[in-house]
Amino acid sequence: MADMWVTMGPQHPFSHGLWTLKVRVDGEVVKDAIPVIGYLHRGWEKECENRTYPLIIPMADRLCYSASMTWSHVYCKVVEEAMGIELSDRAKYLRVVADEICRLQSHLMWLAAMGTDLGNLTVFLWALREREFFLDLNVKLCGQRLTTNYPRLGGVRNDMPYFFERDCMRAVNRFEKVLWEIIGLTDESSIFLSRMRDVGVISRKDAANYGLTGPTMRGCGVDFDVRRDDPYCNYDLLDWEVPVCKEGDAYARYKVRIEEMFQSCEIIRQAMAKLDSIPKTDPIRVKAPRNVPAGTHFARVEDPRGESLMYLVSDGTDRPYRLKVRSPIFVNVSASKHLVQGVRIADIPAIMGTIDMCLGETDR
Amino acid sequence: MPLKYLDKFPKKNNARTLWVLKPMWVTLKKMFKTTFHRPVTIMYPYEKEWVPDNYRGRPGLRFDKCIGCGICKKMCPTTCITMVDSDDNGRTVQRPQVNLGRCMMCGYCAEYCPVNAMIVTPDYELAAYTREELIYGPRKLAWPNSTEMMEVHMEGHLLSDLKKGKNEKISLHCVDVIGLIDGKCIGCTRCVKVCPTEAIEMHTYGEDEKGKPKKFPLFDRQKCVCCERCMDVCPKDAIELKEVL
Amino acid sequence: MAYNSILDWVKFTDPMTSSGYPYGDVYNLPYDIGYKIWELISGLIAWLIDLIVPGNEVSTFLTETPLLTNLLSITLMVVVIFAVGFIVNLTMIWEERKVLGRMMDRRATRVGPLGYFQNLADGLKTFLKENITPSSADKKGYMWALTILIGTSVLLAFMIPLSGRWFIVDYRTGLLILFGLFAIAPFMILVAGWSQNNKYTLLGGMRAAAQMISYEVPMLIIFASVALMAGSLNINDIVNAQHEYMWYIIPQFLGFIVFIIAAIAEAERIPFDLPEAEAELVEGWQTEYSGMK
Repeated sequence: MADMWVTMGPQHPFSHGLWTLKVRVDGEVVKDAIPVIGYLHRGWEKECENRTYPLIIPMADRLCYSASMTWSHVYCKVVEEAMGIELSDRAKYLRVVADEICRLQSHLMWLAAMGTDLGNLTVFLWALREREFFLDLNVKLCGQRLTTNYPRLGGVRNDMPYFFERDCMRAVNRFEKVLWEIIGLTDESSIFLSRMRDVGVISRKDAANYGLTGPTMRGCGVDFDVRRDDPYCNYDLLDWEVPVCKEGDAYARYKVRIEEMFQSCEIIRQAMAKLDSIPKTDPIRVKAPRNVPAGTHFARVEDPRGESLMYLVSDGTDRPYRLKVRSPIFVNVSASKHLVQGVRIADIPAIMGTIDMCLGETDR
Repeated sequence: MPLKYLDKFPKKNNARTLWVLKPMWVTLKKMFKTTFHRPVTIMYPYEKEWVPDNYRGRPGLRFDKCIGCGICKKMCPTTCITMVDSDDNGRTVQRPQVNLGRCMMCGYCAEYCPVNAMIVTPDYELAAYTREELIYGPRKLAWPNSTEMMEVHMEGHLLSDLKKGKNEKISLHCVDVIGLIDGKCIGCTRCVKVCPTEAIEMHTYGEDEKGKPKKFPLFDRQKCVCCERCMDVCPKDAIELKEVL
Repeated sequence: MAYNSILDWVKFTDPMTSSGYPYGDVYNLPYDIGYKIWELISGLIAWLIDLIVPGNEVSTFLTETPLLTNLLSITLMVVVIFAVGFIVNLTMIWEERKVLGRMMDRRATRVGPLGYFQNLADGLKTFLKENITPSSADKKGYMWALTILIGTSVLLAFMIPLSGRWFIVDYRTGLLILFGLFAIAPFMILVAGWSQNNKYTLLGGMRAAAQMISYEVPMLIIFASVALMAGSLNINDIVNAQHEYMWYIIPQFLGFIVFIIAAIAEAERIPFDLPEAEAELVEGWQTEYSGMK
């Protein structure tokens, strides 16, 4: 049969967002792939140039709506670096807890989507049920489930309420037990293993050359994590591990994310213990100046999907001159051609599911 | 902290995974559990999930507290708030009107409101038939049983305080100092009319050539809420806001 | 004038004694039910007409003609069998959805008492949808493939007797006809998938054809071995032979397991739902069939 181009088009059950993957197929074997993105371009960076600095924080939340805390964190980090503000310990640990809750709920959303891609609808519902507990934690902390608008220039919005530690520990303890149950549904099933193993392999060198970040890269053997190697917010004072897998197939990326979930639980526990020891009178928010001194700055943070980076060019007024966003998925999706070489069409959802596309940050 | 999962999976002995029997066993256990106890579903709309008071649903307005300063309008990222005239016992005060179709429920209007007139309400069921119904005027924005948790307080520390060693949490609302730039004021008294809290008073300090009294405004720091309305309306840009950090 | 009671017209005679009974000396329950329903209807109409115009010929025509009675009883028998099959199907789907929902920690199917009418609601919704035909699809193949496919499946369902007295046809070579009807299905699916002018459906149709043809071979071998053991191709005879000997599942348990797997594959249920893989091919070869099609 001759080669034909199949458009796994913008409206597609597996795509988690609006993007196209054109695959060139010979029978059922994939020869080539072209990703087409840009359907969700909202002109975010241009809109930022019209708004003052505090007003951009809720907009940064909406860059990637399922990992909103880390995006507003990276924005606040870059502006604080431009202003030269140092955060207090309490604000740092609060940001750490918020970031890790965000990571947990984003990975659970990924797990749910991964389940539907493979036809496993039970994992979808179980993972979303667990995610609800973390969204409720977000509500208790700052009032909203997903687009939290919690970090502020100079700290965080408010201190955690008095019952937050109890609820947080309850959620984390329960989640660790339930995650083993969910693993029993995916990992211990031969069908899942045979679908994910040795599929979408990318070597360590290629991963580094393409510029992949995050769990996609750590599943290929490159040992780099912004939280450990370029630490911010006292991550170097907490005791946790960075999971790395050598194989580079879809199963390795899956394993890295599951282990990251367990490590996030650990980080939350330790950060809560540290917050206990810091007195409540420690400042959580410092008043930030209106105008930012002129200069160029960048800051990066470990997003659930990789390394997110913001580059700020400020000119001394109260609006940014240029705010550039470097999203991890934008880079990861460029490697899709390499990832889908030689597999069957039925493997494509499994592979693209492990990249964890979130179109909001790709298209901005 | 050791790795909890990565070392154990994939299980070396593949027979221990028992093909698909483990997942089937897990789902069967769950099936029996949820047949005897209820499943985790919340039967919306017959049952609703409890939301706490500080849930950021649509913004609400406490009509009596609003002074019409317009800070909420300046701070809205989506510019969905406009100030409309509303009568208040004869006077017209400009109060906010929120276009809920554009509102992103960020809570900035409630956070930056100096008198805590704008609150966040736990109201999220906002469906309407037309776009015009979604524009909530000052009366429609009311939320009758507003509690203290619905207010959003903006509290923090000043860097200057921390350097001095003073660890005092203050409200960040009215910290900046408003002042007059020397020589530019022409005494037009527009700022007096526009100030929402009547913090400006005109004082005379002599007479000019034609015999008319020369006036200059005096700002009351206790009453000023830093809404910058006087700065917007001054024809000579004679008022400036000095930031206190 | 004598009062003619309805019982003059509605005479519940034994169907086997009427001339034109198609089944010889075997009692057929759905035929009996259809016969009685037709007698009720015809008797009612005849009595009503007789009240107005006594002694007319239409009434006698309605109730006395064996040809009319025969024809309409057969029609009603088919309706009865179809209704029973339909309700059984609905119940099985309802039960599956409910159990699946509980496995996923949620409440499933909420329409009606215990959610029984959910499938009816879904069917009603599908009826009310618009039948869209893609403009560049091959019209004849598009429509005829479905018709023939559903038609042969229904024929197959009617050929299988549910008990000694619940059947429509009882051919001497019933199993052979089943073989033939099975073979049409993959071919029609291929035509359906191909005629929609859509790469997805083409892939789905080819996968479905490949799967169904390949799983038919073991299925038909099992059929042949069962027929060998019973010594006849007539389905009733196979059942009777098991009475005398023992249930064929015991000497042929391997065949039973293979048949179950092959039947699941034929019906494209999970885990053999590659042609209808919802993740990558949306609906497989049924993508362009919207509405009641």
